[in-house]
Amino acid sequence: MTAVTASPAAAPAPDAPAPRRFPALRRLFRDKLAIAAAFILILLIAAAILAPWLAPNDPYLTNTRLRMLPPVWEARGRWQFLLGTDGLGRCMLSRLLYGLQATMLMGVIATAIGGSIGIVLGLISAFYRRLDGLIMHMSDILLSFPAILLGLAFAAVVGPGMTAVVVSLAIATIPTVVRVTRASALVVMGQDFIEAGRSIGLTDGTLLVRYLALNCISSVFVYLTLRFGQVILLGSALSFLGLGAQPPIAELGTMASAGRNELFLAPHISVIPSLVIVVLVLCANLLGDALRDMLDPRLRHG
Amino acid sequence: MSVKRLIWAATALAGGLAFTAPAMAQAQNSLTIVREVDSDRYDPHRSTARAASEVLFMLADTLVSLDHDMTSIKPGLAESWTVSPDGKVYTFKLRQDVKFCDGKAMTAEDVVYSIKRWINPETRSPVRWRAGPVEDIVAKDAYTVEYRLTAPFSELLYQLTQSFAVVIDKANVDALGADFGVRGFNGTGPYCWVDWRPRNDMRMRRHDAYRWGPPIYENRGPAHIQEIVWRIVPEENTRLAAVLTGQSQATQYVPYSGMAQIRANRNLRIVDNQAAFWTYFIGFKVDKAGVDEEAVRRAIVMAVDQEAISRDINFGETEPAYSYIHQAATDWNKAIDQRLIRTNVTEANRILDAAGWVRGADGFRSKNGQRLSPLAYGFTGSTWQKLMETVQGDLRKIGVDLRIQLFDATVAWGKLATQEFDMFGMSFPYITAGDALNLYFRSTNAPTPNRMNWKNPDTDRWLQTGMTAVSDAERAQNYGQVLEQVHEAAVWIPLYHEPMKVAATARLAPFKAHNIYGCGFYKGLDLRFTR
Repeated sequence: MTAVTASPAAAPAPDAPAPRRFPALRRLFRDKLAIAAAFILILLIAAAILAPWLAPNDPYLTNTRLRMLPPVWEARGRWQFLLGTDGLGRCMLSRLLYGLQATMLMGVIATAIGGSIGIVLGLISAFYRRLDGLIMHMSDILLSFPAILLGLAFAAVVGPGMTAVVVSLAIATIPTVVRVTRASALVVMGQDFIEAGRSIGLTDGTLLVRYLALNCISSVFVYLTLRFGQVILLGSALSFLGLGAQPPIAELGTMASAGRNELFLAPHISVIPSLVIVVLVLCANLLGDALRDMLDPRLRHG
Repeated sequence: MSVKRLIWAATALAGGLAFTAPAMAQAQNSLTIVREVDSDRYDPHRSTARAASEVLFMLADTLVSLDHDMTSIKPGLAESWTVSPDGKVYTFKLRQDVKFCDGKAMTAEDVVYSIKRWINPETRSPVRWRAGPVEDIVAKDAYTVEYRLTAPFSELLYQLTQSFAVVIDKANVDALGADFGVRGFNGTGPYCWVDWRPRNDMRMRRHDAYRWGPPIYENRGPAHIQEIVWRIVPEENTRLAAVLTGQSQATQYVPYSGMAQIRANRNLRIVDNQAAFWTYFIGFKVDKAGVDEEAVRRAIVMAVDQEAISRDINFGETEPAYSYIHQAATDWNKAIDQRLIRTNVTEANRILDAAGWVRGADGFRSKNGQRLSPLAYGFTGSTWQKLMETVQGDLRKIGVDLRIQLFDATVAWGKLATQEFDMFGMSFPYITAGDALNLYFRSTNAPTPNRMNWKNPDTDRWLQTGMTAVSDAERAQNYGQVLEQVHEAAVWIPLYHEPMKVAATARLAPFKAHNIYGCGFYKGLDLRFTR
């Protein structure tokens, strides 16, 4: 009986403020940097989704006579092309919007696929201890391949393209997610309610999904937010190497790579997409950091 | 104390100057040439890369040489030659003063060995056909070589100017085995092999005994410059920077975007050779669905704006191509000058409409449920990336959805030997019409280098007659027929002819640029620093 009564130490102190709803979110709102990052990220996502409506020009229409026009704030700039044109005379702004869409889609899909598989494997590994060794060894093997190498291998087999990049990034995401999920699942597995669930005859499926998964999903989600930034960076790197989006598809990494040869004459072709990648990755990382701090119990009362 | 220090400082300074002065003089005797890629080896019979040829031309010599005009054959190791009336026997009289880098005298035996190794099936030379239908090569005496053919081969002398036909040393080949052209090379050229660090640099020093340079040079030997270093710099902007900063004193591999900068620089100049016998094109596989229709190919060729490519993409440095070989090349058929396909987007659209290719909602055409979306293979790197994307943009305008896949050179050649693609990008050097046509349009050369799968009995017959012709007129007439036939069938999209443009420091004395196999320096005998 004593086990179910709240201990006096855990009871709220008489002078403590009344408990508020969503304390974690409130903490997040106090972090101005995180707010700014989230705001920019939302803007970028909106821009990516609305690309077909926002783009002022056809992103694929070439006109070599108008190639390498600088952005509008420079002397030779034109209002028709706010961010100038690329090496083939295509509108940089339009391509940037479409490129953002492709890059983000690549990041989301790769993170989602890799994350889902990783979470399932991590949970299984923590729940069925006899499979633990096998799964962890497999993920260790995967962990030993850098994502770039995986990407190169896939591109060699299936040919360069977005599929190869997404698959290799998803695979590169799996092992770390497995580890993170397993670590938090093991903590949950040690809790009394799992034992209690077993004792009242709950099925493995119910225990896995309703009690184990839901109790460790938040920390994994935070990790995935951080991973999203890394995936974008790796994906852009692979595209930069020519393994990702094939022309004429606009993708930030490919765009940065295409402008490399005109760096002397028209630096904006490379610099603008590179800056967007930096902002995108920075915002994803800042937000991920803030979410981690928010959910970390040790920092909760700091 | 301070006076003493001053004297010390002055002495140190004078000493330093004394040391640096000879070093500077030394530096002027060494020429660094930056280039984009390296060869996999420097075995003349097994390397077909331009990167190999440009080094081999300096390390070794050929029986005959090619003048700067790219059409006149001049003496080389052979001081004279005769051709039998039936065109089957060539007799070469060799110079008697030729020595290899190791000091050994070169004789007819070396020539016989070199050519026989070239055509020996065991050597597996991809350019064996260039030696012609050899019956035998015989050394009549120490300085006479008889080159016997089973049938006349009108291209022979031109082919013998190429780097595949250089004279090598049997003892050297035997001694090095698989490392021949990797760890060393003993040739008779104006320069001798010193050291090769693959994908880094190739060093060669002057062959001091050299006196037998081709008569196309003012200096017949030895070379003026003591040492030549060929350095690999893959990135085009870095090569441009190397030239602008003087780290490289000459190179033909500067990006077109940097030419204006070089022209504007008083310390640099551009040396060119307008015989632009290096042509860029995109070929069609004529048996693949969609592009197997002549009308489709014609429309696609018509949609491409060659003038824009040369003017904008290449900064006006290249010559727009509408013909498959340069119109100044030997045996070009002038009768088809007026019939070459010129850019005309409206007409291209009309042709496709008439052929039943209907535009869908996305703007791309299809017929009987088949989308007009050919797949093109090419090489990665700035040149083909830009070219393919430009052509892709041009084809959008006529509703053709060109898909592009570009591969690194290590993979690309293998991919280009498959039947997976519908179109492919390529560029090639040539000297004559026959040189180009025999390579690409013989049915026996499919699937590579005849990647178009162009198989036509008339073509084969004309090529054979042209190749074995004994008179210039007969040869020109037969090759002319092939040229007309393939141009009418629109099997290539010619893009541009590339003239040779060497960027060089003004400290180099005026010299002529060559364009043999796309190599701007050829033997480099006239290269000389004036200061």
